[in-house]
Amino acid sequence: MFTVPTTCPFCACGCGFYLLANKGELVGVAPSETHPVSRGRLCARGWGAHEAALWGDRLRQPLVNRNGKLESVSWVETLDHVAGRIKELIEAGKSVGVLGSARATNEENYLAGKLARAGLQTNNLDFSYHSICGPLFTGLEEVCGEYTPSISLNDIESSQTILLIEGDLAKTHPRAASSVMKAVDKGARLITVGYIRTQMACLSSLHLPTAPGNEGEVIDGLLAAVLHLGLEDRKSVAVHCEGYDALRRDVAAVKMSEEIHQAADWIGRAERATFLMAPTSGQGDQPRRDAAALATLAAITGHLDRPGCGLLPLLARSNVRGACDMGVAADRLPGCRPLDDERSRQRLQDLWGKKLPLAPGRDAESLLQSVSGLIVLADDPPSVLPMGQRAMAALEKIEFLVVLDAFATPTTRIAHTVLPIASFAETEGTLTSMEGRVQRLRVTTDPPGEARTGWQVLAELCARFDVGGSYSSATDVLREIVQAVPRYAEMEQGRLADGWGGTLVEGSDRGKFVLHATGVAALTSAERPHVLARDGAFDWGRDPLVSFSPTLSRDYQSQRKLFPNGFVEMCRQDADGLGVHAGWKVRLTSVQGDAIVPIRVRTDLKSGVLLVPYAFRDHVANVLGTHSVTAVKVEQA
Amino acid sequence: MVFAIQRQGITKWLEKLLEAGEVIAPVRGPYGDVAFSTIRSPAQVVWDFENPLHPPKQFVLPQTDPLVTIKRNGQHHEVEPIYDDARRILFNVRSCDVKGIVFLTRMHEMEPADASYLRRLSSLTVISLTCNNPCPLGFCVCTDSGPFLSGGYDIQLTDLGENYLVEVGSEKGEAAVSEVPDLFRKATEEEVSQRKRLEVAARNHFGQETCHFASAMRRISTGRVQDALWDKMSDWCLECGGCNLICPTCYCFNVKDLGRDGTWIRCRMWDSCQYAAFTLEASGHNPRAHRKERMKRRFFHKASAQYYMRDNMVGCVGCGRCIKVCLGTTHMPAVVGAIRKGKWHE
Repeated sequence: MFTVPTTCPFCACGCGFYLLANKGELVGVAPSETHPVSRGRLCARGWGAHEAALWGDRLRQPLVNRNGKLESVSWVETLDHVAGRIKELIEAGKSVGVLGSARATNEENYLAGKLARAGLQTNNLDFSYHSICGPLFTGLEEVCGEYTPSISLNDIESSQTILLIEGDLAKTHPRAASSVMKAVDKGARLITVGYIRTQMACLSSLHLPTAPGNEGEVIDGLLAAVLHLGLEDRKSVAVHCEGYDALRRDVAAVKMSEEIHQAADWIGRAERATFLMAPTSGQGDQPRRDAAALATLAAITGHLDRPGCGLLPLLARSNVRGACDMGVAADRLPGCRPLDDERSRQRLQDLWGKKLPLAPGRDAESLLQSVSGLIVLADDPPSVLPMGQRAMAALEKIEFLVVLDAFATPTTRIAHTVLPIASFAETEGTLTSMEGRVQRLRVTTDPPGEARTGWQVLAELCARFDVGGSYSSATDVLREIVQAVPRYAEMEQGRLADGWGGTLVEGSDRGKFVLHATGVAALTSAERPHVLARDGAFDWGRDPLVSFSPTLSRDYQSQRKLFPNGFVEMCRQDADGLGVHAGWKVRLTSVQGDAIVPIRVRTDLKSGVLLVPYAFRDHVANVLGTHSVTAVKVEQA
Repeated sequence: MVFAIQRQGITKWLEKLLEAGEVIAPVRGPYGDVAFSTIRSPAQVVWDFENPLHPPKQFVLPQTDPLVTIKRNGQHHEVEPIYDDARRILFNVRSCDVKGIVFLTRMHEMEPADASYLRRLSSLTVISLTCNNPCPLGFCVCTDSGPFLSGGYDIQLTDLGENYLVEVGSEKGEAAVSEVPDLFRKATEEEVSQRKRLEVAARNHFGQETCHFASAMRRISTGRVQDALWDKMSDWCLECGGCNLICPTCYCFNVKDLGRDGTWIRCRMWDSCQYAAFTLEASGHNPRAHRKERMKRRFFHKASAQYYMRDNMVGCVGCGRCIKVCLGTTHMPAVVGAIRKGKWHE
């Protein structure tokens, strides 16, 4: 038996475990009591981590589309072909782009960014999940400047008050839910805000029900109540915050319920409080403003500058944070710096020996619809992007589509060239968890067939665009990252010491907290009294790490098997009101359009809310349009 | 037969055992975790350790267990069983884990007997080490599975200071001793009575704590656990399945074929009855669709009179691993305690 300590590839909690291999094949997972995050505990996904790499439909040979068929070709020929075709497109004045991935390592994402910016000379660079987590990050940055969370999952366990803006934490981040549970078990007060009475809401001291897109109303209420009760941390406000007077004015007219008063009291009086926030839904820039308002609440109650408390954004996939840090975004350079930040540009130009393009790039959704050549790293945009199957239609129109992946996905099936890369169990590299812990992946087994590690393939592509580096291992790439991303500089020392846990990336000196309330516009009207929301929880069922795992896929795929026409969920009361039962169809009409879908009845949903699982968003694409939430009229169809 | 071996003699014995087969013992890894691993030298074996979190059941019932090879032959399929006959010696296993293997064996011997399991077991020698200082989270006295055993092992070692007492419990144990007969001598009466004193002292470590299983079993078996209690308890379970996977007595599995170049290997994999789709039927009906029903089922299987009568023991060996591994707070002692008191977190 061969035992290799490595990092969990699923959500961004950053757990660690041992992968077990026998005769060169993965056979299992063993927990570790010494891992600083896991401490012996794993969720169902972690326990099944070995399965997808073993059972998955793995890509084994480089494939090139010739006469409408994917044929296996040698690596050198394939890479030359990719470089040649992309260069042709650029010379013909056509636009090209690169998609990084929240499932790829920091090293792979960094090289993907380098390839786009220095090699292809474009800022057309993004990753699929960015459109969902981006607003959350931007909102936090608006208040905190360069944002790094000041709290770790273990800190949560000693909190006195926890404010959780849900998602469904128990399902999305079981490890984080575990910390919340242990805190509640010790007597902490849990306040949940959401439109579903989730498992965590059942454990809460107070559940503040809200409609999708309306979370901001509760946050504004809490801000108003804290100020009204005089519970702001005066010293912290005076020393660390600006915009206090404006904030007071902004929330002066906000209505507060008794529950909101109670919650504000618990938050304001707590020595240690935790604020957990999943990406919220809402029209326009509402999600960004919600995030800013929550950070403001944490700032004025003094919980952003006290140790052991703070705000933790809940990121769905393992390396969302890392992909952002590596600058895999149309408007950000590595280190999350703005595109026009002169110091960062200079540093990167010196490091890469190329001038960087200034023209802003396109984000993932518009990039798919506009480029002629696209390189996709370890992702399946139709599964991840909110635009769903429209992403597939866009991909099909792309003149030259290259995909690097370990697994066969719908995207690899329509690609013009497929570059097989190693899965998380077969490559070295690092992942950055949501709490900022940079941890290593280690090699347990060999990649199947001729597959190579992702960083090697990307380095080869970079070299073909004259931005090569001499990398003989993933660590060499990390050494370059340390120069490109100042925040990772301090990490190198800790990393070389090896061991579990990697190193927490600390924030640099930040300026004052800039306070913001959110302000919420009403969505519903008499004509369209219901709210249809796309469930923000990441659709693991379409992720190859889950869909190829015999154990994990049962829970996630069975729904799709059972409901080929999808469904929207509504509460019993609303279903009775409409006179419909589970499985019956309803017509949803919004400003954008209409759709007829079956319903499923659940008892824990707030009245007036219709929820469509992320997996079934395509069935109501006409109704939602480009929004994540919209007002609808519901009728029996 | 009861023998004694000098402390220094153990190294020589292990060297001999290493020649006979794969020796698996608790080893401290570079990250501080103690785990059952194949050793290359006797020096790797740790003697002062808390029981590894990952149980040795993986050596009788691997997490991924190839059962048969399926080959296509024209219109037919050829099916060939896969047996693992590698000679293995499990060394320094704790009493609870020995009892776990006894439990698993009883289940796999039931008709129809599981040939794959039994073949692997027949080439496995279990050498256990009694717990002079029981681990802080264990409650093996409640489940009659430690800290010392009176059977179930091939060999049971007890640390007497200068010497180890060697109790031989089977022919496989005799064979392991006879690898180097010179190292062993007959134990003295004093040594045997020292072992008894150590056992009493070890039992006293558990203090006045009495077994709660009996009253919990009465309530579970007679349906006297209120639904509201299961409801409340199940809110504290995060359905990780860890309790099942690390449990020395859990054996539920799923089966899946692994395709490899025109042949398929049918594998049995560890599974958990706490996963929502574990009992999902092809029709879409799930008899245990709710978390509380799955939890109820788990404890019914572990601690109901029905299974106790069949297995002669509760489905728990008191190792305490589920306390460490539980993502929520619904480990065995917590739930058994709550059932006994009829209260949860109050």
